[in-house]
Amino acid sequence: MIEYRNVTKSYGGKQVVKNLNLTIADGEFVVLIGPSGCGKTTTLKMLNRLIEMDSGEILINGKNVAEYNPEKLRRNIGYVIQQIGLFPNMTVEENICVVPKLLKWDKERMHKRVLELLELVGMTYEESGKKYPNEMSGGQQQRIGVLRALAAEPPIILMDEPFGALDPITRDSLQDEVKQLQKRLGITTIFVTHDMNEAIKMADRIVFMSGGEILQADTPEEMLRAPANDTVREFMGKHVAKTRMDDPALHCGDVMKKKVLTAESSKKTLECLELMSAREVDSLVVVDSARKYLGIVTIEALRERGEAGRPITELLDTSAPTVQVDEPAQQAFGKLLASKALNYVIVLDEQQRVVGIITRTSMSKALASVVWGVKK
Amino acid sequence: MPWNRVWEHLFLVLAGSGFTIIFGLALGITAYLCPKISKAILWSVDVLQTIPSLATLGILMVLFGGGKTTVIVGMVLYSLLPIVRNTHTALNGVSPAVKEAAIGMGMSRLYRLVFVEFPVAFPIIFTGIRISAVTSISVAVFGTFVGGGGLGDTLYRGIYIQNMKLILFGTAALMVMAILMDSLLNVVEKRLFKHSMK
Repeated sequence: MIEYRNVTKSYGGKQVVKNLNLTIADGEFVVLIGPSGCGKTTTLKMLNRLIEMDSGEILINGKNVAEYNPEKLRRNIGYVIQQIGLFPNMTVEENICVVPKLLKWDKERMHKRVLELLELVGMTYEESGKKYPNEMSGGQQQRIGVLRALAAEPPIILMDEPFGALDPITRDSLQDEVKQLQKRLGITTIFVTHDMNEAIKMADRIVFMSGGEILQADTPEEMLRAPANDTVREFMGKHVAKTRMDDPALHCGDVMKKKVLTAESSKKTLECLELMSAREVDSLVVVDSARKYLGIVTIEALRERGEAGRPITELLDTSAPTVQVDEPAQQAFGKLLASKALNYVIVLDEQQRVVGIITRTSMSKALASVVWGVKK
Repeated sequence: MPWNRVWEHLFLVLAGSGFTIIFGLALGITAYLCPKISKAILWSVDVLQTIPSLATLGILMVLFGGGKTTVIVGMVLYSLLPIVRNTHTALNGVSPAVKEAAIGMGMSRLYRLVFVEFPVAFPIIFTGIRISAVTSISVAVFGTFVGGGGLGDTLYRGIYIQNMKLILFGTAALMVMAILMDSLLNVVEKRLFKHSMK
């Protein structure tokens, strides 16, 4: 059990944490959320004494953290940060073993633990164990960052906006993985974020902070149902409230299908015909080698103007409707209903890469979830 | 041809570089760990570099007398700058995220320095060592004026008796030495930092 008792911290006369009281049960997943500068990160870092509090006390299982040697304390508290901070001079295995090594585990035990942890996130030692961090994607790196924090089986883990710098798709899958791991291992987790979607997805309890104080601490459900005051309501509203079809908070990215049948622009006519008949579709989305959207190619165009062996770029139709992934979904539905020729809208990201499509089916699914309250 | 001068020169360079590395790293790390005196350290090293090497040797001769010790001390003073500066800059340049993670994992100050900060900064530190080692080859030439021997003797004698062969021999030997030293360190660097060079 973790208890914050009347904890206060000021910087240059400004109180960033004011007389904070909070009790966290063993195995609980608590998300600290609030606008920037609300004191959530400070609250987190006072637990492992990266920041020392001015007054009050924090107890872990009844013992004040101030009584611990800070280095020994930190070895028993997992820590994950937004900038990942893997050690670039160490392999994945060595990174994971940092804390076990500090705790003087023997080699065999460390190696076994590495295998075990990699398996937890679906990675293999043969493939990743000897890699250096700069040989991996940001998402993979943060996976290792999480494993490094879990390595010595700490009873508590602190996460400071761990997925803030990742792309939406990677973030989504890492959130799932971490939540699953946390549940399975029963680790007490304190998680800082400013993303309400993330908070609702991950938290057993959301602690909403503003100006160094806790405004509300409740389950996600209760938080959505009865925000304590206007500050909370406003913050929630901006982030969730996916309760109406025309709500601008429902984005194209939320309703799209991520599997899109695309063809690279280097493909030839016959290859495309083959692809279409194999998948029983009547058009293909054409992209360049970087998955940037170029246009679509329809079966009609292929039949009327296609010649065997000619590149499909000659048959491109660029008039197909497109939307950006962060546009309101309403926009896509409008375009979809207006378009007679095509039965889908193509979803692009900021770099104009194809990330998904929205069909009439995705529209009705979104509609159903609103009517029946079904989660996507 | 005076091959023994070549070996003598090589000895001066290796001894000089060895001490330079030891003192350079010590000063650079001290400057990093104690920001209060870092300015003083960097400033002193800078000033040492601005004194002409011949003058440095002259002053040292007054203190230590003639001979190899004087040359080596002079070389150390004269080639400290790249190592101290690169060490200080590189350690300061280690990403704050890496430093925070290291603290958050529960590493002690010394452990962090030895196992994280120094290895991460080492490629840049090594560049400093490389520059310093190559410069020291030409600094050692001045050793002849304080009786330190080495290829400086050969060159000086060549000039004095106007023997072109001797001058060319000395020059070529110095150039080959510099090139070999640089290539050798280059190979070492590539080997050491295989993964960070990608």
